[in-house]
Amino acid sequence: MSIMKIERKRGEGMSNEGFDVIVVGAGVAGNVAAYLLGREGLQVLLIERGNYPGSKNMTGGRIYSHSLEKIMPDFAKEAPIERKITREKVFMMTEKSSIGLDFQSSLLGTHGSDSYSVLRGVFDQWLAEKAEEVGVEIVTGICVDDLIIRQGKVCGVIAGIDQIESGVTILADGINSLLAQKAGLRKEFKPSHVAVGVKELIELPAELIQERFQCNENEGTACMFAGFPSDGRIGGGFLYTNKESISLGVVCTLSDLIKGQKALPQLMEDFKTHPTVAPLIKEGKLVEYSGHLVPEGGVEMMPKIIGDGVLVVGDAAGFCVNLGYAVRGMDFAIASGECAARAVSKAYQGGGYSEGDLQVYRDYLEESFVLHDMKLYRNFPKFLETTPRVFSDYPKLLEGIMTDMFVMNGQPTQALVKTIMKHINKVGVLKITRDAWKGVRSV
Amino acid sequence: MKIITCIKVVPEEQDIVIKADGELSFDRAKPTISAYDLNAVEAGAQLLEECGGDFIALSVGSGGIDNPKLKKNILSRGPESLVMVADDRLKDLDTHQTAKVLKAAIEKVGEYDLILCGEGSSDLYAQQVGPQLGQLLNVPTINSVSKITQSDGKIVVQRTLENEVETLESVLPALVIVTSDINLPRIATMSHVLAAGKKPATVWTLEDIGVLELFNTIEVIDTRAPQQVERKQDIVEGDTDEAIQEFITKLSTVLAK
Ligand SMILES: Cc1cc2nc3c(=O)[nH]c(=O)nc-3n(C[C@H](O)[C@H](O)[C@H](O)COP(=O)(O)OP(=O)(O)OC[C@H]3O[C@@H](n4cnc5c(N)ncnc54)[C@H](O)[C@@H]3O)c2cc1C
Repeated sequence: MSIMKIERKRGEGMSNEGFDVIVVGAGVAGNVAAYLLGREGLQVLLIERGNYPGSKNMTGGRIYSHSLEKIMPDFAKEAPIERKITREKVFMMTEKSSIGLDFQSSLLGTHGSDSYSVLRGVFDQWLAEKAEEVGVEIVTGICVDDLIIRQGKVCGVIAGIDQIESGVTILADGINSLLAQKAGLRKEFKPSHVAVGVKELIELPAELIQERFQCNENEGTACMFAGFPSDGRIGGGFLYTNKESISLGVVCTLSDLIKGQKALPQLMEDFKTHPTVAPLIKEGKLVEYSGHLVPEGGVEMMPKIIGDGVLVVGDAAGFCVNLGYAVRGMDFAIASGECAARAVSKAYQGGGYSEGDLQVYRDYLEESFVLHDMKLYRNFPKFLETTPRVFSDYPKLLEGIMTDMFVMNGQPTQALVKTIMKHINKVGVLKITRDAWKGVRSV
Repeated sequence: MKIITCIKVVPEEQDIVIKADGELSFDRAKPTISAYDLNAVEAGAQLLEECGGDFIALSVGSGGIDNPKLKKNILSRGPESLVMVADDRLKDLDTHQTAKVLKAAIEKVGEYDLILCGEGSSDLYAQQVGPQLGQLLNVPTINSVSKITQSDGKIVVQRTLENEVETLESVLPALVIVTSDINLPRIATMSHVLAAGKKPATVWTLEDIGVLELFNTIEVIDTRAPQQVERKQDIVEGDTDEAIQEFITKLSTVLAK
């Protein structure tokens, strides 16, 4: 029995094109879903509103390889990745100081659990080429305006004057998924459910990057900055080394940003001129500036991800965790794209794409790390939100301890423990213990 | 009416990188349709919609023009089929040789009523190929055309000149060179893009069109960007009153010079 006979009813004046699957959005999630379904031999149409895949996509810059590795083993050998991250630095920052932790380990580069800095403009194009190679039809420069919905079932997409029918539609249209709203799967999100990020791409010669960040050719460093970059509120700064550029940015929760004094562009300016950051980007040339939303509402903000004839993947489904100082979304996007492709493939063989037929999508997500990790970090955003000390008092506390330890000015010095306790008492032992307990329990 | 529009393929302008020494890097620049030719394609598409017939796009250039995305791009804008002469021997060709190759390709395509060209190419803008091609084909050739209408095997065109608008009638076959304000090139819709993938595209080599010898008279030695003006790099940081005052003082001293 061929299911397409049932699904592909074409009305008067409709385009005579019909597809098994339409995927909206050629970000990592959409590309992976389309690639896997194309590989299975389904007729897939991938629609991207940008002029090429990657043109409208933004990320901080680091992809954890595990989820794509499963789909395309050894992808990093062929894909246009920037550098393999072999060095991690974490800084607590105040206006004048920063206290850092430098972690370099061969454990970071282990195949399958390694991570890479990437630039989406080239990376997403490469993924899309892989999809094209297995027969996916890709249309760029076209924005999907609406969905064809009949009796509650999504039957295809509407773009301008065109209507294209499909058996099932996968929404991979990113965090601000208007289509998930149109399908009735999602409501407007609250300011506390999203963070905003800005990023600058700063060009520097490869050798200079290797020198400044003490890394080998093709290897790189990731830096996280807590405290000052987000002006003591929830968020943080990040820095990733690419081949011949640096991705530098700040992420801040929207609800927090509203309360603060400084606007995001100002936070970014101050971050760039901080004495720890300025020398790292000295003589660099700013080549790109971008801003984007980050989902961070955790499972709370997750929309309905399965409907009649429709699935939601990646950022559009809220699959992303924001740890305050770092964002993880691409590996979630890829894994959810894979789960959706498996579900559609199964439904295709089974003969229909009803909401019931597509329920396996959730099962696959439950089996994978996606929903597990989303639940694990369920309370983490709330912890950060209700514990602003993490981003304001603690960097100051460390600054105080460090200055007392290292600034010698002829004043009588105190024993280390005494010094530390003096600063801890400023915040309050009880508060610190409570925060630590809350923090541990939230993950 | 049988229409052929000639298209030059050029590197995407915004992806051309100017290196520190002024050298141009085309590494990231993908092949695209020369901007002025978009108007010639649109003019063809409009005539086809009006009077039916046949509409072919023709492009000659180096091997790189045989690019699937580019072909789809061209075919999504109205032509029903595409013919390319893609051959690395056609790189950096002078205008006369280009016209000669186009002529040979057009003769292989066969009968035609109207050849359309853009006013110049968006990279070199020599404005030579159209007129020379008309001469080689020995057909009436009209440039600076800002309007085309057709009736009974003839065309009536308007030429917008400096102080007047000339209206001319010509028999067919003819060659018409359109201005960039003749129309607004359409943005392909999704169904146009999808249909483009199914339209026929033929790629020929020089041998296929019987051009056995080229006498290129130009040799490109170097292409460089004009030198940039050295910036002062005098940056005032911060938004305090003092900083703003400093900024104003600096600005006024420079302007006073
Ligand atoms: C500042 C910042 C830093 C981050 N850092 C990291 C990091 O270091 N590591 C990490 O793993 N993750 C990070 N993330 C998260 C990560 O970037 C996202 O989770 C990931 O990009 C989601 O991929 P996606 O494919 O779901 O969506 P997107 O990449 O947003 O793709 C959606 C696509 O859909 C297209 N589209 C939208 N609407 C339509 C429409 N109507 N019609 C046609 N096309 C449409 C868009 O043009 C876009 O191409 C960061 C995010 C931000 C903002």
